[in-house]
Amino acid sequence: MLEFSVLILIPLIAAVVCYLIKSIRSQYVISLIVGAFHLLFSFIIFIGLYKPNLPFFFSTDSLSKLFLLILSNVYFWVVLISFSYLKRPVTLKAQEGKKYYFLLLNFYLFANTAAILSNHFGMYWVAAEATTLSVAPLIYYYRNEESLEAMWKYLFLVSVGIAFAFIGILFLTLSANGTIMEGQQLFFSEFVKNAAKLNPVWLKASFIFIFVGLSTKIGIAPMHSGDVDATSNAPSPIAALMSGSLRITALLGVMRIFQILTPTSSYEFAKLILIIGGLLSLIVAFIFMFKVNNYKRLLAYSSVEHLGIITLGIGIGGLAFAGAMFHTIYNSLNKMVLFFTAGNIHSRFKTREVNGVSAVINLMPWTGWLFLLSFFAISAIPPFGIFFSELMIFRGMLFSDKPWILAITMFLLLFIFINMGRTLFQMLYGEKEEKNIQEKESFEIIHFAAIVLLILLIAIGIISPGILQENILSISKDFGIRL
Amino acid sequence: MQNILSILFCLSLFYLAVTPRVKAYVAVLRFQGILLTILLMVPFVEQFSVFAVILPATLFIIKVIIIPRYINKIILELDIKRTIEPTIQQFNFLLLVIFSFIVIFLASSILSLTTNIETIPFASGFAAVTVGIFIIIFRKKLIVHVCGFLVLENGIFLFGTAVASDLPIMIEIGVLLDVFVVVFLMGIALNRISSTFEGFDVTILRRLKD
Repeated sequence: MLEFSVLILIPLIAAVVCYLIKSIRSQYVISLIVGAFHLLFSFIIFIGLYKPNLPFFFSTDSLSKLFLLILSNVYFWVVLISFSYLKRPVTLKAQEGKKYYFLLLNFYLFANTAAILSNHFGMYWVAAEATTLSVAPLIYYYRNEESLEAMWKYLFLVSVGIAFAFIGILFLTLSANGTIMEGQQLFFSEFVKNAAKLNPVWLKASFIFIFVGLSTKIGIAPMHSGDVDATSNAPSPIAALMSGSLRITALLGVMRIFQILTPTSSYEFAKLILIIGGLLSLIVAFIFMFKVNNYKRLLAYSSVEHLGIITLGIGIGGLAFAGAMFHTIYNSLNKMVLFFTAGNIHSRFKTREVNGVSAVINLMPWTGWLFLLSFFAISAIPPFGIFFSELMIFRGMLFSDKPWILAITMFLLLFIFINMGRTLFQMLYGEKEEKNIQEKESFEIIHFAAIVLLILLIAIGIISPGILQENILSISKDFGIRL
Repeated sequence: MQNILSILFCLSLFYLAVTPRVKAYVAVLRFQGILLTILLMVPFVEQFSVFAVILPATLFIIKVIIIPRYINKIILELDIKRTIEPTIQQFNFLLLVIFSFIVIFLASSILSLTTNIETIPFASGFAAVTVGIFIIIFRKKLIVHVCGFLVLENGIFLFGTAVASDLPIMIEIGVLLDVFVVVFLMGIALNRISSTFEGFDVTILRRLKD
């Protein structure tokens, strides 16, 4: 029960406490303590010091351990910088949003942990929908027209999408018809064990519905629009939370059904769907990088791109699958730095248009340099982690049966890099405008978080801890991949 | 019994396809909620248990009482006009609905040859999902979009009973609560939209694009 209470109950209790306490500072302290405990516990579970034994519809395996660690890591840093973010001046209307900020954040942690640890498709669905519900009001933090529109679109699109995923789950019940699984509960582990006996037609249908439905939440093309709007208009800690952890929670659902399909005759079909989804996302990112002139949208499209790469890696299989797992970790670390620093730029220049921003390096040296470094990191320049994971995915592609995908991917990534670089360099350097010359910026907690995250990104990439490798090997084994 | 209820459900979908009034949408949602409650109560004729009443009771409270009242309240407060403002002609919409009904019912009867499903509830559930999507696509008003989403959810619920999936009661209630909170949040958002923008239809939501 200890693990259940620390991971799932305490965030829920903290959410209730945050509702009762009025002071933002105490809410912050409580959330930070909860986040730190959560991180500590997920880490202990991840390195195997503690064998969790969860009740009801919950359980852990290698995949959920990894994703849980990513979630608690993202959550901890987001909460850590949230207080300094909330202190920034906002319009009078937006002041009321602060009251519910930590309440919703704690509820998000509760819902997302439940989704990651669930062993039951129904439970996963309920929890995944609850994460949408907790994030939607946070998107509306600034209380302006754009954020309102973004919240409405996100809420609506994701709710409809996830309703489709529910149809997929019901199809999974149908696929068990006439086998020993008939009338049984929808446990992942049971389905994985008996996968070969399931009806392949319904399994395929189930995969398509779950994939299309959840792709609104993962943010891969062609269902990316709601997600891009939401990430680009949410306050930057929330954008980091969404890019770093919410998207992979949705990816987990797709991976669960994919795991069930692994030993069946529908495996090749599912792989093809994932590859198409991944390539489409890369193409969408490629096209929009040419015309985007809002830097937060640019970062949101970068999320589309990287989730596309991960989906592509999972679809290719083999070494690319392991690379995709590494990529989820590095992407979540990197996206946090990008969104944190972009938030700093936004609060200084008061605009999200690229044209309104110039000479960031001169005016805000800390933010500017960190933004530049995180851009290098996301473009897979060594020694940052993404370089290693992309290399792994590319090697996997090269030695798979479809090496031509590598050529397409390289081509798209090159242009995405050039266009992103062109836009960001214009922001970082460019002419200094007279009115923007103010005092130099001071070192804040956001910069500290960004530096630690970048160091982590390099360290994990270079050292490549044995425990992490073992975990990813064991995930690959669960998916029937021998490395 | 299940078949009769499903056919009534389909009739309510046809009514949705022809009515031009927003209030009628809410009435249909209430009617569908009652049908689904009765559907869940059918097993009690043979075997009654207090514990199993929880789910139909929750369904009744959420889908028949709270949600329709809430939507009516929003319509009153925001003084939304009575017509639904379609983007295509009602007659074409009806044709589209009839055509998709035919396809869905034919497909379901073919599927029922190989799989053990209740054909009529299965097809009705799927038809409701389709009609819900059509309502969202071909209507302008945001409040009607919310109704379309709820029709879709009702369809999925009916569909769930047709494939005989018995999820644990805790999860079923979780699903219902999630739907309720979604509608609640959408209502709040609509309130904000009405005070921020001028109007309630999708054409005002066009600030975000590339």
